[in-house]
Amino acid sequence: MELMTWFTELLEGNLIFTPQTLSYYWDGLVTTTQLVFLSLLAGLVLAVPLAIGRSSRHRWISLPIYAYTYVFRGTPLLIQLYIIYYGVVFVDGIQESIFWPLLREAFYPALIAFTLNTAAYTTEIFRGAIKATARGEIEAARAYGMSQSLMMRRIILPSAFRRALPAYGNEVIFMLHASAIASVVTLMDLTGAARFVYARFYAPFEAFLFVAAIYLCLTFAILYFFRFLEKRLLAHLKPA
Amino acid sequence: MAATPMPLEARNIKKRFGDTEVLKGLSLQAHKGDVITLIGASGSGKSTFLRCMNLLEQPDEGDLLMHGEEIRFKQTRRGREPADWKQVVRMRAKLSMVFQGFNLWAHMTLLENIIEAPVHVLGKPKKEAIEQAHALLERVGLSARANAYPAQMSGGQQQRGAIARALAMDPEVMLFDEPTSALDPELVGDVLKVMRDLAAEGRTMVVVTHEMSFARDVSSQVIYLHQGLIEEAGPPKDVLTNPSSPRLQQFLAPKY
Repeated sequence: MELMTWFTELLEGNLIFTPQTLSYYWDGLVTTTQLVFLSLLAGLVLAVPLAIGRSSRHRWISLPIYAYTYVFRGTPLLIQLYIIYYGVVFVDGIQESIFWPLLREAFYPALIAFTLNTAAYTTEIFRGAIKATARGEIEAARAYGMSQSLMMRRIILPSAFRRALPAYGNEVIFMLHASAIASVVTLMDLTGAARFVYARFYAPFEAFLFVAAIYLCLTFAILYFFRFLEKRLLAHLKPA
Repeated sequence: MAATPMPLEARNIKKRFGDTEVLKGLSLQAHKGDVITLIGASGSGKSTFLRCMNLLEQPDEGDLLMHGEEIRFKQTRRGREPADWKQVVRMRAKLSMVFQGFNLWAHMTLLENIIEAPVHVLGKPKKEAIEQAHALLERVGLSARANAYPAQMSGGQQQRGAIARALAMDPEVMLFDEPTSALDPELVGDVLKVMRDLAAEGRTMVVVTHEMSFARDVSSQVIYLHQGLIEEAGPPKDVLTNPSSPRLQQFLAPKY
């Protein structure tokens, strides 16, 4: 209760940051977090098998995956979002399908675009890490009777994931910041909320500096989380 | 004739890389308890020969037998390949290899390195594998380093750890590929001592080495390779003390 009174006193006389606008920011934060978290999670799940396929020596497996990552890394995320958000209406029969109630909203097309985009980048990050596995360690795994799949599961992937961690941390931060463009397809994410407040009060500095501070805090949390992970999972690379 | 089949036999192994024929028909018979050392100048094919024995390199010609069981090959577009990879996996599980560069798995602790293949390849219960690993670590003098990562150990410790990893498979034949060549001189002794102990307890070993004292004192047979062919072979007292081939005489002569 005391916190509440402190809070209302703080806001007293402030025309822009009213409990009402703050609730917009809060809803925006929830939307942004959901969008980024879900797309990263789905992207990660897609990227692991894709990275394995991308490292395959069979060209008919690796080439289509390369085409996918090339297209999604070679075009702007905003264009991908436009194509999926505006284009989905024109897919035959989509409006009669069971997915339509979901796809009609801005959130799900944005989620699909972001997932496909981050999966492409993550695939390439993992593929680089898989390729960098020490030859000697692979040779030892073969010499000790491991099958190809056992070696992938026990030796190559665990060591590749650790190597990929710093680069993947950057990808997570990149996705958080890229999620700001979801606001252009009417999604009320953090940036959407800031634009709304700006338009309402014509106060660019208050509206956008505040949201920038929120993004900074989120970035800091992500950095800290990855530093914690690296400390635990990359312990083996540090000499005692 | 053969009362007990040999743990490992290689017959007339040939291997070429591109236009260079590196192995021109090499044979080797490892009976139980044999310690066979392969010596020769670099480029003589001794490491390639060893790597053909567990099929890290595919021999272009020749046969491999384990306990009289012949490894089956087939011809493919890429060349000669094992016909049945399950057979190869089964065979490799009985041949442990110790590498020049140690090749411990860097993301695992030493203990995890040792139990990895016994648990996941041989299907040994984890608890049993851990007990065995601790016993092996004590043997190679590394009890205190069970939870260290390879990057935290010296080269000599890593190699002794790698030998413990090899022993954990209960191998029938151990293959050593220049196990002391990557070590600082003062660390070589510890590794050789472990290998001498293994030889003394009757392990079957095939060792590629430059350590002539080890070859002389420990091995039952020395094979001298020159340009992909066996130039001279026999017990160390014949081959190393009274070499008949001029090339081997020169190879063994003091360098300075």
